[in-house]
Amino acid sequence: MIPATRQIPNRGLQTGRRRAALTRLDAVLVALLAAGVGYIAWRVHAQGGRAWEWEVLGQYLLREDGRPGLLLQGLFTTIRLTCWSALIALVLGALAGLARTSPSLYLRLVGGTYVELCRNLPPLVLIFLCYFFLADQIAPSIGLQDSLRTAPDAVKTVAGVLFGRLDQVDAFVTAAITLGLYEGAYVAEIVRGGIRSVDAGQWEAGRAQGFTRFGLMTYIIMPQAVRNMIPPLAGQIISTIKDSAIVSVISIQELTFQGMQLMATTYLTMEVWTCVALLYFVLTFSCSMGAARLEYRLRRRYSV
Amino acid sequence: MYRIIATLIFCLALSAGLPPAQSHAAEKSVLDQVMERGVLRVGFDTFVPWAMKDKNGEYIGFEIDVARRVAADMGVEVEFVPTKWSGIIPALLTGKFDVIIGGMGIQPGRNLKVNFSAPYEFSGMSMVASLAAAPGLSSLADFNKPEIVLSAKTGATSVAAAKKHMPLATVRMFDDEAQALQEVLNGRANAMVASAPFPEQQAIRNPDKLYLPLGGDTFTREPIGFAVRKGDHDFLNFLNNWVLVAESEGWLAERYAYWFKTMDWETLIK
Amino acid sequence: MILTFRSLRCSCGTLCSVAAYALTMLLVVWAVLRGAESMGYNWQWYRIPRFIFLPDGSPGPLLQGAGITLLVSGLGFVGAAVLALGTALLRLSDSVVGQALARGYLELIRNTPLLVQIFFIYFVLAPAVDLGRMSSAVLALALFEGAYASEIIRAGILGIPRGQWEGALSLGMKRSSVYRQVILPQALRNVLPPLTSQGVSLVKDSALVSTIAIYDLTMHGQAIIAETFLSFEIWFVVAAIYLVFTLTLSSLARLLEKRSSSHLEDSCTG
Repeated sequence: MIPATRQIPNRGLQTGRRRAALTRLDAVLVALLAAGVGYIAWRVHAQGGRAWEWEVLGQYLLREDGRPGLLLQGLFTTIRLTCWSALIALVLGALAGLARTSPSLYLRLVGGTYVELCRNLPPLVLIFLCYFFLADQIAPSIGLQDSLRTAPDAVKTVAGVLFGRLDQVDAFVTAAITLGLYEGAYVAEIVRGGIRSVDAGQWEAGRAQGFTRFGLMTYIIMPQAVRNMIPPLAGQIISTIKDSAIVSVISIQELTFQGMQLMATTYLTMEVWTCVALLYFVLTFSCSMGAARLEYRLRRRYSV
Repeated sequence: MYRIIATLIFCLALSAGLPPAQSHAAEKSVLDQVMERGVLRVGFDTFVPWAMKDKNGEYIGFEIDVARRVAADMGVEVEFVPTKWSGIIPALLTGKFDVIIGGMGIQPGRNLKVNFSAPYEFSGMSMVASLAAAPGLSSLADFNKPEIVLSAKTGATSVAAAKKHMPLATVRMFDDEAQALQEVLNGRANAMVASAPFPEQQAIRNPDKLYLPLGGDTFTREPIGFAVRKGDHDFLNFLNNWVLVAESEGWLAERYAYWFKTMDWETLIK
Repeated sequence: MILTFRSLRCSCGTLCSVAAYALTMLLVVWAVLRGAESMGYNWQWYRIPRFIFLPDGSPGPLLQGAGITLLVSGLGFVGAAVLALGTALLRLSDSVVGQALARGYLELIRNTPLLVQIFFIYFVLAPAVDLGRMSSAVLALALFEGAYASEIIRAGILGIPRGQWEGALSLGMKRSSVYRQVILPQALRNVLPPLTSQGVSLVKDSALVSTIAIYDLTMHGQAIIAETFLSFEIWFVVAAIYLVFTLTLSSLARLLEKRSSSHLEDSCTG
């Protein structure tokens, strides 16, 4: 069924360009807004609000010697975390999504358990569970932090860019795996939806041609499915940026954690949290813009 | 399908027959591990002025100095693993670091799970109260009422001390002592219980909002020690004797005086 | 033993698949137990029932926390529903300011993490306008979930066929009456399944309010662990309780979806 095109209920039966005139509702809203802002401003002032010290934040963004300050370092850690966990989530999610659409009941059950478990547990609880458990099993067996300690300098520099502070690589890897596990469940659902969005006729035609299931998936179904999956996947990666804030509870030095630490040392709650919120906003908004552009270009190239 | 079931049964049988995986207790002493690795991993949590970050993001504080000296005396590097206080003992038990050097109070409950070294420091609990929410109080009994709300750091000895000396009051716990302090600054909690000299320093910083109801006295005295995993006698012996030596040299007292009795280090963080 | 896709096709029916699945799950559980054993962690499950039910039969800390979680989620849901409806209507209205306001609200909320929003509201906004802790948490959850729910409701309203609008307006009804009596009842019934899924998200996100010391299920879990160090046991129990809530809501959502789609089929053929 073709979804309804952009119906504008308020137009009713009118046609033509929309008026830009202000209505009574506008006036009411502006009045309410002004009242709200005024009230908050008055309350802040009445409490003996101290002067805002935005300059202090400056040195936490960029130090005098030009190197990134704590907040920017936190931002970079957030970006690294998002990239790595998105990678893990894509792999896990693709496997789980394929498992959930396979004809084998066994695969469907296993995939379904993973997806339902990770989608129904609060991410905070999942993080705590995985941190204590995974970290002791998986990180040491990969042994990244230990091997990096004795690596040549060139390797250390590259690892520094990829993983952040070398003395916290194990914790970083654990957080990335946990986040990847959590997001992977959502990616699995997107993959499943993408595969199901391919017309049934494609399956039938493929089978009629004598393709095996593997060949059918590789050459016919997946190329089409992947095209449909890209916009929601981009949205999921943007969600990962926001979900990465949760790993601050296990002391990963990402942006939210740095914000909490900064609040602890300087007590400038207002400035710190505004700055942190702004940094997240800039990051996700620019990614959303990018994703929207991508979707537009995909639609133009492939719309039938 | 038969192949899957066969594979699974095979895996189960194989692993059931394997010897149990090496437990940490059966491993060699942490001392040997650290010397081989060349790095001592120290678990701690930020708590001004025991441990905190300076402007450049490096760790400074009394505990940091102690940790650096221990590592130097062992001839190894030191690596700091910041960990939330409420999860620091489980983190030690699951091997995320070798020792907790973070102002951990020696308590029998904790001692059931970890070993403590001889105390290298003595701390006491004191309180800082809100001028707006709880003015003019001056003794523990004043705070021992159901309508009083105290704030403290989750998992710290301050919680136990608050519950023991003021059982009728409500205790609200926060992950961070800064958040706990914020409660008192906002007037939402009547007072905060924390290790000296944190309350005293905060009262100096915010004279218009906070005051010291007990006049700067501590109402408990507790020993602070290093915490290590159980079953490791060699490392424990090393740490015990390290404390003895550092104390006899007067180094511990000198560091303590710098970090706790003066505020000279404030320029490093602001 | 190469597991090709062909061999994965079950030749002996669902029983084999289910048996293999059960074996796989057993393998996973066993691996978890072995892993914990290798950490030297000793399980103490016998201590857990005391935290669920007190000896006299009244709910223990975990169940009390579950109650608070439900309370916060319920209040948050009501707030979110109100905000969502208002925002959806604003976006569909004539008013330039209204649309800008709605867009601004949506973009702000959807581009910042919930944790940062909770901290902002609690540490910055709440002291200014004197909001309590519970109110801040409910406000933060309502604002966050309301943004996502408003998109769902807006999609539901836009999905109502134009014929409904035309028919109602041609009967001489005012716009507000059309909304109230024709459009919204249909739209809300259609979006009930996705809204219920949003409710599941709400319950999961309510775990984050533990960071501002609201004694919900997660906070109680952390407090118990801080005293008793029963990390895994408590986290598994907490996870199980959350699963009960969310799986119930998810099943409800699926049930509603099935009923609404079958309802549509009937009306199509009828």
